Amino acid sequence: MKRTDVDVLVIGGGPAGLAAAIELKKRGVKSVRVIERERFAGGVPRHSFHPGYGLRDFKQFLSGPRYAEKYVDAAITAGVQISTLSTATEWVNDSQIRVTSPAGIETITARAIILATGARERARAARAVPGKRPAGIYTTGSLQQSTYLEDLEIGTRAVVVGAEHVSFSAVMTLKHAGVKTVAMLTDKNKHESVGLIRFALGIWYRFKLITKTEVVEVLGDKRVTGVRIRRGAVENVIACDTIVFTGNWIPDNELVRRGGFAIDSIYKSPVVNATGQISGTSIYAIGNLVLPIKAADQCAVDAKIVARKVAVNLN
Amino acid sequence: MSNKTYDVAIIGAGVVGTAIARELARHDLSIALIDANADVGDGTSKANTAILHTGFDMVPGSLESRLVARGYHLLRDYAREVGIAVEELGALLVAWSDEELANLPKLQAKAVENGYKDSVIISAADVYAREPHLGVGALGALHVPGEWIIDPWTPIVAFATQAKLAGTDVILNTAVTGVTKGDHNVLHTTGGDIAARYVINAAGLYSDEIDGVFGIKDFTVVARRGELMVFDKLSRTLISHIILPVPSSMGKGVLVSPTVFGNIMLGPTAQNLDDKTDSGSSEDGLKFLREKGQKIAPELLDEEITAIYAGLRASTEHSDFQIHSHPDNYITVGGIRSTGLTASMAIAEHVKELLVAGGLSLGATKALPHVSMPNLGEAFTRPYQDEKAIAGQSAYGEIICHCERATRGEVLDALDSAIPPTTLGGLGRRTRAGLGRCQGFYCHSELRKLLEKK
Repeated sequence: MKRTDVDVLVIGGGPAGLAAAIELKKRGVKSVRVIERERFAGGVPRHSFHPGYGLRDFKQFLSGPRYAEKYVDAAITAGVQISTLSTATEWVNDSQIRVTSPAGIETITARAIILATGARERARAARAVPGKRPAGIYTTGSLQQSTYLEDLEIGTRAVVVGAEHVSFSAVMTLKHAGVKTVAMLTDKNKHESVGLIRFALGIWYRFKLITKTEVVEVLGDKRVTGVRIRRGAVENVIACDTIVFTGNWIPDNELVRRGGFAIDSIYKSPVVNATGQISGTSIYAIGNLVLPIKAADQCAVDAKIVARKVAVNLN
Repeated sequence: MSNKTYDVAIIGAGVVGTAIARELARHDLSIALIDANADVGDGTSKANTAILHTGFDMVPGSLESRLVARGYHLLRDYAREVGIAVEELGALLVAWSDEELANLPKLQAKAVENGYKDSVIISAADVYAREPHLGVGALGALHVPGEWIIDPWTPIVAFATQAKLAGTDVILNTAVTGVTKGDHNVLHTTGGDIAARYVINAAGLYSDEIDGVFGIKDFTVVARRGELMVFDKLSRTLISHIILPVPSSMGKGVLVSPTVFGNIMLGPTAQNLDDKTDSGSSEDGLKFLREKGQKIAPELLDEEITAIYAGLRASTEHSDFQIHSHPDNYITVGGIRSTGLTASMAIAEHVKELLVAGGLSLGATKALPHVSMPNLGEAFTRPYQDEKAIAGQSAYGEIICHCERATRGEVLDALDSAIPPTTLGGLGRRTRAGLGRCQGFYCHSELRKLLEKK
């Protein structure tokens, strides 16, 4: 088995992980390696094609892919080593981790390990929505990848579940895929995005925001035919062929749990001190792994602060 | 369809139909294995509770008791031979009331009557020593060390693969709609006529309807829905045995069991339905499971749910398997319930005996082609952990489904196999890809692309 030593190993090549790696190099840390399990580094912005990225860090108004690309370029320029298609599979101990990639299995030893594994949206099962299991059910993540990265056929009429920031991003992706959003549902009293976004998109795409409403059944055999919804005691059926479950984020905390580290019981994030460190270890956590969900540029800005502490602790 | 007359046509390519096809494929027979669905194992077989049963709690003397006991050994050995994941966990039938506790000796005696002698009654303290995360109130348990867990899907694909490689025609997307009896039977199907001297009905939920086509009415199949919740792999350390309830008149009740894939499963519910296609989960069913789970292993409910399934068991008004030889060289294999997975290979042997008794000449015996299945069990080495496999082919080092750590190499192997998947569900059953906690947040689009390209 291949064995490698680095000063800092960053697990996860999204905005937080890349921003931290760049900062570490700037602070004179010699070897910084980022491992990313996808084919390309850049994280979720890579498949989020609408503008709105980069205000807090690049002071620019960028699309997701352009923003991701800027971070990858900056990391390479700074001398960060990025390994894609590389998955951290298990801890050997608190400073060693096993990694699988097409090149084989490698054990990486690091003086500090930064976890930047991000968050995912809870899928339909995790929300325990009853009904059948027809085709046509997505999260924003799988919808965006199907639409922008693979150009697959989606459907014609969609119901978007959730009214968070990302939910409006799903509406824009649906539009791009030629799918009409017929309704956006939330069990909350109101949407959780920026008022202006909700207002503008609601008018632009002409969908109805239905509040205080839960999805109680997915309808359809081979293909989604609709959703049964409930508001108070009143039930209704909305016909659609596509359902997108948006938001309701959970950190990708598998490595944290497999390492036996403490998890916050509500957010399911690793318990870290003020400097982002899991106490008693040289392991840090940044980005949306910690208390999701924040904007990409906010994750990057916060990650830099943690990276500075890591650099200080190493020297 | 061809003008060929098959020796045997098997209607239904679930675990029973494929096992029969494999058993007959050892002989010099021409065989058609027909299914209405686009994949093997896509009916009632696909939502099994995945337990390798000893048969300790069967009705003593029943056909089911005999075939489960025999099938246990056959499937256990077959699993070792072709590489199907099995874990030797053992079961605890936990008594939560004095009445249930008083029933344990009776269950132990019944196990002996079924030929199973290794069960022991253990104290509450022993129960908690074995299962510290169990809810409060356990009074004791019957420990059945021989009850194991198994991958419920790979046996079906393995049986079908061996049968196909030995010459069986696997005819999918083809529903049987009628029959013309004569010298031989001509099955009318949605894909044209299929002629066969002998016909075996292994149509699961639809076995009564196929009987109807042959003018027979021995039983009625009622679809009994069983809803299952599958919890995140990170919960696997909570439970280390199959936790069974003490049976009551209400059926076997709800169990909590680890799966060979590394999850914990909670279920099933039991609800008789009029509609044989209603395989959806229900609000009431999920609420019921949460209540049960809360009592059996409360910490489980703090874990994320990875999947919710609803399976339909083919229950009949009879308590035993309904395996009958009829005139016109026709055999019904119906009323097979969740024990059908364990019993499958013994059912196949039994059906072969019935065919011979009915005058079928088996001809020369040949060795079945060897198959080696991808072992999907968490307790076994998967390709992503296998340096040699990755060195041989780098695609085994490219993890495509992160939650289940399924690699591109495994997905391509499945797509290139003798019985390839045609749906994302079928691909998942063969590789685990897409069946994990994110349910495709990351890999859905890539898997779909690979499948559609095929």
